[in-house]
Amino acid sequence: MDFDSPDVMKDFPGLYASELNKKCNNDSDYSDETDKGNKKDMLIGKRKDKKDKKDKEKGYAALEGESSADEECKSRSPSKTKKSKSFKFTTKSKDKREKSREKEKDTGDKKKERDKKNDKKTEKEKNKKVKNYEDALDIAEALPIFGVNLETAVERSRCHDGIDIPLPIRECIDYIESAGTSFEGIYKISGTKSKVLLIRKMYNNRQNINLNDYDVPTATSLLKMFLRDLPEPIFTSDSLVRFEEAGAILNLNTREKHLKILVDNLPPLNKLLLSWLIIHLDNISLNQTHNKMTKQNISAALNHTFHSSSRLLHALLHHCRALFPDLTITKYIPPLSSGQTLPDDLETMEIELKKQESLLTQIHTEMNVGCISKEREELLWEVQRIITQLKRKIKTAHKEKEPIVPQEKEEPEPVEVSVEEPIKEPEPIVEPENRPTEPEPTLENTIEHLEEIPQDDDNDKPMILTDSSLLLLKFKNNGLLALKERLERNILEEQKEILSLKNQLLPEKPSVVPSNEGLDELMSLLQKENQILQINKINLVRKIIEQQEICIELKAKLELSNQV
Amino acid sequence: MAKKPAVQTALHKVIMVGSGGVGKSALTLQFMYDEFVENYEPTKADSYRKKVLLDGEDVQIDILDTAGQEDYAAIRDNYFRSGEGFLCIFSITEDESFQATQEFREQILRVKNDENIPFLLVGNKSDLQDKRKVTFQEASDRANKWGVPYVETSAKTREHVDKVFYDLMREIRARKMEENKTNNGRGKDKNKKKKLKCVIL
Ligand SMILES: Nc1nc2c(ncn2[C@@H]2O[C@H](COP(=O)(O)OP(=O)(O)OP(=O)(O)O)[C@@H](O)[C@H]2O)c(=O)[nH]1
Ligand SMILES: [Mg+2]
Repeated sequence: MDFDSPDVMKDFPGLYASELNKKCNNDSDYSDETDKGNKKDMLIGKRKDKKDKKDKEKGYAALEGESSADEECKSRSPSKTKKSKSFKFTTKSKDKREKSREKEKDTGDKKKERDKKNDKKTEKEKNKKVKNYEDALDIAEALPIFGVNLETAVERSRCHDGIDIPLPIRECIDYIESAGTSFEGIYKISGTKSKVLLIRKMYNNRQNINLNDYDVPTATSLLKMFLRDLPEPIFTSDSLVRFEEAGAILNLNTREKHLKILVDNLPPLNKLLLSWLIIHLDNISLNQTHNKMTKQNISAALNHTFHSSSRLLHALLHHCRALFPDLTITKYIPPLSSGQTLPDDLETMEIELKKQESLLTQIHTEMNVGCISKEREELLWEVQRIITQLKRKIKTAHKEKEPIVPQEKEEPEPVEVSVEEPIKEPEPIVEPENRPTEPEPTLENTIEHLEEIPQDDDNDKPMILTDSSLLLLKFKNNGLLALKERLERNILEEQKEILSLKNQLLPEKPSVVPSNEGLDELMSLLQKENQILQINKINLVRKIIEQQEICIELKAKLELSNQV
Repeated sequence: MAKKPAVQTALHKVIMVGSGGVGKSALTLQFMYDEFVENYEPTKADSYRKKVLLDGEDVQIDILDTAGQEDYAAIRDNYFRSGEGFLCIFSITEDESFQATQEFREQILRVKNDENIPFLLVGNKSDLQDKRKVTFQEASDRANKWGVPYVETSAKTREHVDKVFYDLMREIRARKMEENKTNNGRGKDKNKKKKLKCVIL
């Protein structure tokens, strides 16, 4: 496969983003957007200059901080040696840590030292509970929020109102929705590197952050950094290819249908986060007269962030209301702190109690793994006090309501009761597909799409069927049918191939797994490489099919003109 | 922490421990709000704060009422660590609860790592003399062995309720003053270390 195929690469520039971020992080933490050109260079080993030019032509606002970070990364890894280097950055400590911490990715500075420390600490974490402050773990190191998988990030930075998206994302969205949707070039213009890094650190340290103290570009860059630091794309590694395939479908109805199925099959947390992000980005695009960010522009500015193509993003934005029909973005109101007055009406008190209990659970969880400090203990007592007060208030409110039969309200447990009933979005009923188990959706989708072209597409103009046009359609149809047959044959062959490959693969696996240290790393690299190849393939296949389609059309016209 | 007790109101952190149903919550509520509840509602954890006058000094007391039931034992450590003084309660009507105090004592010493932690052994439900199962003598023997005071209370009649809280606060206050002294003297090194560490973190 040709890596250099420029169009393909243009569409998937973000694939190696996380690897590169890590690499860059050794020197500079700020990875957001710095590696636009870089990661391509890593893979391809050239075209940096071209890209830079292009950026300027497009009028990208390149901030100083970024370009210098770019240079920094670049100078450390000269483009010529990049490819081989990217296979070498395996360090033993990192490898170990990744295993022991379920592949959380470190995003912080001073990575190497920290890795070593973390190794020690994770061992401790497992062996015994930390008892005193000297042994206490630093929460930003032990339980970071950025750079870990989504589930962990949600667990560690909960929104205590039961909406399970990570707090930094929620607060960024809240802030941007309230202050920034008319900001020109929003999501395209990046914030100051140092500020973004500072805020990330504060989040990892569980400090309270008021984004109003910063600006819109800082918030958007933070949001982008969070998403890009996710070890796995939000579409999941397993489904990314399918998403790309679906996003590439030209027929709008088919595309929507396929995207809907894929979205609904995402893990709940991924789906939820995706829905919030897409609806939020759609809100941004609704204000395009002010912010100049059309859906197209937004997709182009955020494709790396999503580890996807801009085409896919654009497709999701286009269908967002159909994909996420019930979602409205609600501002997060955090649990009250002790200075604030408690609510009086029963319902609000109950809601507040839930939030406080969720917070309490989180504090206990953090302390149980050894993240103890005087401040955290202070907070523990404080939250506990608020809960006690709320419960007393609720009890008296109940008594006043029903003086004779006091309602036996089951008291929620402070420990186990967390946000256990997160918004269960009403599962939209998915229309069952005609072919529920498609082994190779690419081709089939495309076929489907090709078949549907004559009947419906964007233009709903009623067709006047003159003799010649009828004839043309007939010719076209013949060509398409032939194509379909050919493709179906291909599919069958591919399926056979897959089966035989699978058979070859199975017996080998167990003997390979436990053996080597660097193997895991290599494996994941190969998997990534495989992914990129697959996506390349899809793109090529798509192009081939588009070309074939054009050919058929031309042939049909030719035949028609021959007849005439 | 309590570095400048003269300026800020001192805050003393008290933790109630003991088996389920011995009257920890009853004692706490009696002390806090002068109320007594007859029906038993097991606690998971509750925390209270009250301003009191301790020997002419305005102080605040934080009371953490823990769960006696084993189901909630997992989170105890997190609370024990931050406690400055402990009221270890049993019911004089239930021998099992008296035996359990031994374990609570051990757990506290394990977490606090301090033999001299302010601590009172409290025999509650002293109004139920006819149901007494634990004699005054054996309870005060155990307290002597530990080097702590023994007091009998009744959350129902309010007998000795204030006493146990105030006695404990006095012990905590004395303990803090002692610590301040040593910290001002040779304990400075220790302080420095801590500070340095904080900066790193
Ligand atoms: N007669 C009498 N009853 C008491 C006294 N103290 C508590 N009780 C009763 O004993 C029962 C249990 O009291 P609680 O204070 O809820 O017990 P607890 O130690 O908090 O129990 P957990 O929360 O499960 O650990 C309640 O029914 C109280 O009314 C007392 O001094 N005298
Ligand atoms: Mg209780």
